[in-house]
Amino acid sequence: MKVYNVIGKSVRRLDAMEKATGTGTFTTDLYLPGMLYGKVLRSPYPHARITSIDTSEAEKLPGVQAVATYKNTPRVKFNTSATMTTTVPNMEPVLDQYIFDNVVRYVGDEVAAVAATSEKIAEAALKLIKVEYELLPAVYDPLEAMKAESPVIHDECHEGKNIPGDIVKIPFGDIEKGFTACDAIIEETFKVPIVKQVQMETQAAVAQVNPNGKITVWSSTQTPHPSRMILAHVFSVPFSKVRVLGGPYVGGGFGVRIGLSAKAEPIAVALAMKAKKPVKVIYNRKEDFIASDVRHGGYVTVKLGAKKDGTFHAMDLKGILNAGAYCSFSCETPGVLGAMGLSVYRVPNQYYYGHSVYTNTTPAGAMRGFGNPQAMYAIESTVDMMAEKLGIDPIQLRLKNIMQAGDPWCLPYPCNSSGLAECIEKGAASIGWERRGKLNRPGTKILRGIGLGVGSHVSNAWPFCVDYDNAYVTVQQDGSVLLASGVPDIGTGTSTSLPQLAAEVLGVSLEQVSLTFGDTETTPFDIGSHASRTLYAAGTAVVAAANDARKQILEYAAEYLEVAPENLELKDSIIYVTGQDESNTKQVSLKELTYYAHLHNKQFIGVGRIVPENAPPWEAHFAEVEVNTDTGQVKVVKLTAAHDVGKAIHPAIVEGQIEGGALQGIGYALSEEIKYNEKGKQLHDSIHKYMLPTAEDVPEIEAIIVEANERSGPFGAKGVGETSLVPTAGAIANAVYNATGIRFKEIPITEEKMYRALRKKA
Amino acid sequence: MSTKTLRFNLNGEVKEVAVSPSDMLLDVLRDKLNLTGTKKGCGKGECGACTVIMNGEAVNSCLVPAMKAMDAEIETIEGIGSPERLHPLQEAFMDLGAIQCGFCTPGMIMSSKALLDKNPNPGKQEVREAISGNICRCTGYVKIEEAILAAANKNKR
Repeated sequence: MKVYNVIGKSVRRLDAMEKATGTGTFTTDLYLPGMLYGKVLRSPYPHARITSIDTSEAEKLPGVQAVATYKNTPRVKFNTSATMTTTVPNMEPVLDQYIFDNVVRYVGDEVAAVAATSEKIAEAALKLIKVEYELLPAVYDPLEAMKAESPVIHDECHEGKNIPGDIVKIPFGDIEKGFTACDAIIEETFKVPIVKQVQMETQAAVAQVNPNGKITVWSSTQTPHPSRMILAHVFSVPFSKVRVLGGPYVGGGFGVRIGLSAKAEPIAVALAMKAKKPVKVIYNRKEDFIASDVRHGGYVTVKLGAKKDGTFHAMDLKGILNAGAYCSFSCETPGVLGAMGLSVYRVPNQYYYGHSVYTNTTPAGAMRGFGNPQAMYAIESTVDMMAEKLGIDPIQLRLKNIMQAGDPWCLPYPCNSSGLAECIEKGAASIGWERRGKLNRPGTKILRGIGLGVGSHVSNAWPFCVDYDNAYVTVQQDGSVLLASGVPDIGTGTSTSLPQLAAEVLGVSLEQVSLTFGDTETTPFDIGSHASRTLYAAGTAVVAAANDARKQILEYAAEYLEVAPENLELKDSIIYVTGQDESNTKQVSLKELTYYAHLHNKQFIGVGRIVPENAPPWEAHFAEVEVNTDTGQVKVVKLTAAHDVGKAIHPAIVEGQIEGGALQGIGYALSEEIKYNEKGKQLHDSIHKYMLPTAEDVPEIEAIIVEANERSGPFGAKGVGETSLVPTAGAIANAVYNATGIRFKEIPITEEKMYRALRKKA
Repeated sequence: MSTKTLRFNLNGEVKEVAVSPSDMLLDVLRDKLNLTGTKKGCGKGECGACTVIMNGEAVNSCLVPAMKAMDAEIETIEGIGSPERLHPLQEAFMDLGAIQCGFCTPGMIMSSKALLDKNPNPGKQEVREAISGNICRCTGYVKIEEAILAAANKNKR
């Protein structure tokens, strides 16, 4: 096994000191001289036309310096998500929103904004804006919204009523023939809820426009470079006139700000242009809940056919998702749902059909897993039903059918590696699978059960979105290294793991490497932090840049030491001649060489420009649950999450990604949901009302790292961030079935639902 | 708007600040004293990101009217340690991977410090209760709990 100096070690994170001492700043912490505070007036109605809007009283309030509405802001259509800049040819991005419009399409939609000298004054001014609305009919369910009698939410829908973009169809083999050759077929429809990222820092932007028209925006975005392109489009300025950068830290993402931070950035810029002063827009928690992207709810139908011996032979998958009022990522999400759903099992005949549907609810966009948790809850439930029908152990059925490295699949990149079988074996041992079915005695009030779910994901966004990366490695004149990457650090440890990669390649210690990140002015273009891609894709660019710099150093050192470059090794910041004996100990330190080079008019600057391949991470989750038959409460006692991550560059960060995602997965399975009342109002619009897990709800979580080396990743690494909640709900639903004999075709499995189901069964 | 003078002991130093009657302690710390280590995640006492220690108790500073802090002793994340002299909790959070995005970290550390100040040897359940009002969406709380227990053990030695 290769020995590494820097990677594979859980060093102290480079952002830890700032964050632990309270000195690390986020966008919400920033203050500029003369800065104003922006507040947004939001629609109280789910669908209405603004017939009149009078801002004169608000403008007169002392301290108010700008008021923005659809009448005085750019009438340029855009999409808040990065899809605007990353939709692959020959598809067209859906541009369906303005900063403000004269039609509002969900409760919380933007009507106007005010910039004032304090938040309190801005809030008072909002109350002085007089708006008259003509109410329009509204619809909240995607299946309803497709019906002829439902209201039109957006006109430009070429595939059908209220369907944004293109319908996704993924054919593989012959689905019709496939089912005729099956011995057992199961078809079920599952309903999945609308849920929320609830990242800790709400959507935030601070905008400054200088007298030359240059726009600078400090932003909580996960993707500074695409955000810059969106803002340049909205305000009709060259890309070079917009700078987007982090605070520098970003208080979590989970997909909610791939692209703009909802509309915080364009609203702040519009107000700053009018007021000619910097403007800060921070969404309060309620705004974050009701007016920034949610995870798509909707319906997933699985039709699975198998031979008697358990060999899967045909799978028909269908996803109809709730897009909400604006498109955001609603074209890509059903695509990923289908592509991921079809690529876990080796099924020769498959078909996927899926799309989103506009409704008068909060827009749905990216959230960790991006369609995949919806797919795998449904598929893993169905696979367990098939196991029962055929009388085969659920583990054996999966081991028989899971994708193996080299298998053909529907994706346009190869399956190079799979550690899924190892994940299943290690997970089964951890949970004690052999105890399954022997946990309950007759008459017991607490029913116990064990279940599993498996899944995969991506290591970047290709072929669903445009995906490429650049990085610079600038070796300083003292041998230290400045690395530049356009990705931010949204908490996933990028600002540690990318320097680890550079240090490993360059043969220097981690302390010698400094990173500039998440700033469009000081870093070359990078898509950003999404699609579990940052380490895999941006990391590949960092490795390329570091190798470029290393090559330059060794070539220069070869002349300096008068040896051939291939005989040189760079380690511990020293360039050695390899294979030399004691009589010949030629060497030069990197510090000495770089300063010598400086005095001779030379600096080593490595450039990495790469188009990443893609690679499947794999995961198996095992849940042990207790169901209280008196109250209906489902409690996860233990969750084992075994993940093939290729190679863990920083094992503690990988574990942290797995543990955090697994708990989000438990919330998805059991408690989290945003519901609406008949007036289109979100009933779960605060942390208190939205039932996300707290420290007291955490079961024993065992994270297991499996390393099936991936040829295409940096040092063998694959994606991990999103994978950790992909199979969780399926594993829990299967454990619940094992405990109670009740198959839930709708999540979350709340106490109320379980209580009713138990009474119905009795 | 009429202002009043708030006098309190902040991280060991007496401070006097002009505040409006409607100001919350969090606003005073962040906006008037530029101590942005204390974070605002909800403004309604539901997330714990704004936790500070007031007279020995962990409180949500977004729910404390500023004038209620008159003559109080307030500790914030900026006051409990420095890079040269870190609090054992800060050290444990850094070394055990308890920090991801870092937005909950200051509040999380302050809640656990209030616990350890009173109970230097807490059990797992006591740790969980102490941070049950602090939301973290990144870590699943696993490494945070480990870090608090490790810091407590270090205290013991």
